[in-house]
Amino acid sequence: MATPVIMPKFGMAQEEGTVIRWLKQEGDRVEKGDVLLEVMTDKVDMEVEAQASGILQGIRVGPGETVPVTTVLAYILEPGEALPQEATPAARTQAPAPAEETAKPPAVKASPVARRMAAEQGIDLARLTGSGPGGRITKEDVLAAAQAADQAPDSSPEPGRVRATPAARRLAREAGIPLDGIPGSGPRGRIQARDVERHLAALAASAEPEAQPIPGPGARPERAAPLTGMRRTIARRLTHSWQSIPHVTFTASVDMRQAEALRQRLKPDVEARGARFTPTVLLALAVARLLPRHPRLNAWLQAEGDELLLTQHSQVNLGVAVALDDGLIVPVIHGAEELGLAALAQRIGDLSQRARRGDLQPQEVMDGTFTISNLGMFPVDHFTALINPPQVAILAVGRARMQPVWDGEGFQPAPVLQLTLSADHRAVDGAVAAAFLADLKAVLEEPARLLL
Amino acid sequence: MSRELTYAQAIREAIALAMERDDRVFLFGEDVGIYGGAFGVTDGLLDRFGPERVRDTPISEAVLAGVATGAAMTGMRPILEIQFMDFITLSMEQLVLQAAKLRFMLGGKVNIPFVLRTPAGAGTGAAAQHSESLENWFVHVPGIKVVMPSTPADAKGLLLGAIEDPNPVIFVEHKLLYRHKGPVPEGYTPIPLSQTQVKREGADLTIVATSLMVLRALEAAETLAQEGIQVEVVDPRTLKPLDEQPIIDSVKKTGRVLIVHEACKTGGYGGELAAIIAGSEAFDYLDAPIRRLAGLDMPVPYNRELERRMVPQVEDIVDAARKLVREGI
Repeated sequence: MATPVIMPKFGMAQEEGTVIRWLKQEGDRVEKGDVLLEVMTDKVDMEVEAQASGILQGIRVGPGETVPVTTVLAYILEPGEALPQEATPAARTQAPAPAEETAKPPAVKASPVARRMAAEQGIDLARLTGSGPGGRITKEDVLAAAQAADQAPDSSPEPGRVRATPAARRLAREAGIPLDGIPGSGPRGRIQARDVERHLAALAASAEPEAQPIPGPGARPERAAPLTGMRRTIARRLTHSWQSIPHVTFTASVDMRQAEALRQRLKPDVEARGARFTPTVLLALAVARLLPRHPRLNAWLQAEGDELLLTQHSQVNLGVAVALDDGLIVPVIHGAEELGLAALAQRIGDLSQRARRGDLQPQEVMDGTFTISNLGMFPVDHFTALINPPQVAILAVGRARMQPVWDGEGFQPAPVLQLTLSADHRAVDGAVAAAFLADLKAVLEEPARLLL
Repeated sequence: MSRELTYAQAIREAIALAMERDDRVFLFGEDVGIYGGAFGVTDGLLDRFGPERVRDTPISEAVLAGVATGAAMTGMRPILEIQFMDFITLSMEQLVLQAAKLRFMLGGKVNIPFVLRTPAGAGTGAAAQHSESLENWFVHVPGIKVVMPSTPADAKGLLLGAIEDPNPVIFVEHKLLYRHKGPVPEGYTPIPLSQTQVKREGADLTIVATSLMVLRALEAAETLAQEGIQVEVVDPRTLKPLDEQPIIDSVKKTGRVLIVHEACKTGGYGGELAAIIAGSEAFDYLDAPIRRLAGLDMPVPYNRELERRMVPQVEDIVDAARKLVREGI
């Protein structure tokens, strides 16, 4: 029987994936467990293994193409077996079309009743795997998907299930904008007409200054390309963060003399354990030790129907932002409050190295409760970071700059850096943020306090 | 010129005007003559028009509907009063199988121009067998028109329009409206059937209501206006054939709709209205689910408090409207 090779779903929030390249080619003999292709998701690059042994046939999604998860990418056939009928894209085999045109997801095979039920329940058939003959999606598949969607928390709606009123849908359709990403103010997050109107107004306001670029004489037209993969996810998430979270920021200056001295002193010991003792490690250590005492900041704020749910975590899952060539990823150190200095340094080093290689497991970028973003290696004195929802706070770290510091008698040169905490003002009051910054400043200026 | 008349007076005036104008029009039913009708609607008409044209009949609703059908076929314009809509159950065969179908089955060679007037509705403590609202049974039968006036002016104008109409018309009056007063134009002023009317304009919510519920919706709209909710109240007046466009236009304008009727919700007229709206161009303007407020699915209770609870009241309409506008549910 033909075994479909599908775009896998690695993470809960993953909606689509991009084929990087095929490692096996059309007609190759493959064994179960062989790596067939590499795919890129929002967060990580992954390998897709053969689920069966046979001949790889009917490759229909080429390198660079992005498709929804569970889309059939190819089939593994038994020798002599023909491709399932819907799996022979005639245009593809007879006359290879340009890549732009073949980027469309393949037609979905589903029974009429399944189609009707899926339409009624707003389920995207392209995201289902059919259990019927030839991979046909049956009534049972739709029922199972509907049940799964019903059980999913409202805060993370199933892909393709945007809750919106007909009026909101019409407005979005007329304006030619997608509904997902527009925050819904109706019951259970339903997108209302007013939400779309607000969104359109915001778009119009932001688009105005660059509405009509006037090319200068002889100006070479730049090529516009749609954002894809991680870039697109970053764009969507940051827009959501910026538009839906009332950010408030707090900045404190920290005299890093003692911290820096301590770091230099312990560096050889940490390095002897095969890790690097960077300023980020020390900051991460301080933050991880302090957060349990400041649970309001080690928290998630999530919409649950009309309610906003605040979850304060006892465990610190510390995200440390890592810059990539094109993008950014935040690997998470789970249970960071339990780790000693050397262990923490090892974890951070390992995760950031693998992050740069694109070699992180999905769970290594999930479930963060607080994030640190350090630009101290650049000549950036101070910046504010955008919160990564559902987290309620993020710490932006600037560079340590030599500055005169008054010690009661005279000015001393000291490396001073600025810490800027961005907090979700719905969940975090100024005093709470200030108390955390005060503690953090105290332990960094006098690291012995970490022993307290 | 108009003056204040009760709903009952307006109906009586329409009957008298039609009888004066057209010799073929006559009135018959149980106690419509000497007694003046169970609710006094036909009081004085016997004296005015004589026993030939105002006829008291035996208690025999099946026969009465057959008489109306036969008289209409032979060229008369009968007005039949069925004392309580509940008893229309006894007339069903004549109405549904004969009156509604004969013109069709005889190739259009006959007209059946009669009007069956009947009081419906709960609220008088008359219990389950004298309180029914059965209008939707007839909405379902092709060949019968159904009219439900909510005001004295509509009662007069629509009754004249129904008498003029060449088809069997079920003219559903509401017991609690009989004493309700309102301006009524003088003279012979028929209102053609199938003209939906906007009774009050508003931008936030459309309430489509029938009969007594129109009045309650208007009262609710007053309360809601004080909270800043502008309600548009739309009265179909003729349930069948329905003038759909004003309803659709109203929903397109407000994006929200609450349907209110007294008859039980299940299988009621509200379902038909909801389907018409959802299937129309108004669909793309809906910003909340279509909601129905209707009688509970139960026989009308004798106990006055239970009876009250069974039927939508002004406060129920206010609550439902507020929820729809404020919360979208």
